Amino acid sequence: MKSLLIRLYPADWRARYGDEFAAILEERPLGPFDVADVLLGALDAQLRLRGRDATIKQGRMFTMSLRLGGAAAILGGVLFPAGFVATSIDASDDLFPGVAFILAGLAALLVALIGLSAFQARQHPRLIWTAFALPAFGTAVACIGILSAPFFGERPVVAGLDPWSISMIGLAATAVGTVLFALATYRTRALSRPAAGFLAAAAGYLVAVVVVAFSGIFGDLDGVAATLVSALGVAGLFGFSIGWVVIGLTAIRADRPAPALA
Amino acid sequence: MEPKIPEFGRFAEPSLLILVSLSDGPKHGYAIMQDVEQGTGRPMGAGTLYAALARLEERGLIEPLAPVDRRRPYRLTAVGASNLAEQLRGLADFAQMGLRQLGQGPR
Repeated sequence: MKSLLIRLYPADWRARYGDEFAAILEERPLGPFDVADVLLGALDAQLRLRGRDATIKQGRMFTMSLRLGGAAAILGGVLFPAGFVATSIDASDDLFPGVAFILAGLAALLVALIGLSAFQARQHPRLIWTAFALPAFGTAVACIGILSAPFFGERPVVAGLDPWSISMIGLAATAVGTVLFALATYRTRALSRPAAGFLAAAAGYLVAVVVVAFSGIFGDLDGVAATLVSALGVAGLFGFSIGWVVIGLTAIRADRPAPALA
Repeated sequence: MEPKIPEFGRFAEPSLLILVSLSDGPKHGYAIMQDVEQGTGRPMGAGTLYAALARLEERGLIEPLAPVDRRRPYRLTAVGASNLAEQLRGLADFAQMGLRQLGQGPR
């Protein structure tokens, strides 16, 4: 009787679930309710089997985007400040390691934005892709500015902007955009809310420090004031990076297997 | 209250029960059936269980682990955990609205 019921399911379904399904049917005697339920299940499987593989691939892509985005966020969060530290130590014009680290960090952050946005956009597409636009634009523009520096020097590249200005515009857009992205992530609850809140606060702080430093509202800074603003800027940069690392770690941890086996 | 997996049709409720059952760790099919029966007081048939499991696996909300004897455990994926949390929050909001309308909830 049980093997007959299982044979009502499609062959592909039996190849995938047949063994474990048979084990379940052997756990207890079959009543009329169970037989009717299995018959309806077999009918459902016959009707639904087509297209299963394509849908499984789609689900796996979302999980993959979470893992990839999380790893890229950690990598970007480490390389980005490492590049600034290296350029401040190394006074030469060599692109390696400082500028190369910054570029790699920005590229990793762009990958992180794409991966984490794709994961969240499954349920909140409009909010997430809107929040994704500015930081993605910023990282891309900053990369273009940095890459054009060896070729253009201080000459304008586009719209009267030299490579340094383009890089700064890109980095500013990245920082402001990170605030928006983190707030959207906080709103969706798809990733850790404390991590998203921390990233929003850290990126917001970095933006505030940069605005104060470059706006000139305190006049020309020198001596202790200049040192203080520099220290605040470095703290902002590291807070920004730590925020990305934390959200990357929580994204990867969100997909780890549960420890218990019932 | 917006249903989060409307295409599951009549398997939406069994799917939610399975996701809740898997929320405290991986389980094989029979353990899920026992868990659901214990939690709701109603049995879930094997046909319903596997129709829902197949849909959940197709959508990437759960994934199979290596079989132990002939029993194959399943676990929640990150997408599944996120989907479950959202469904439960929707249900909680719905319950609160109902209680408020009865004059028994916080205003």
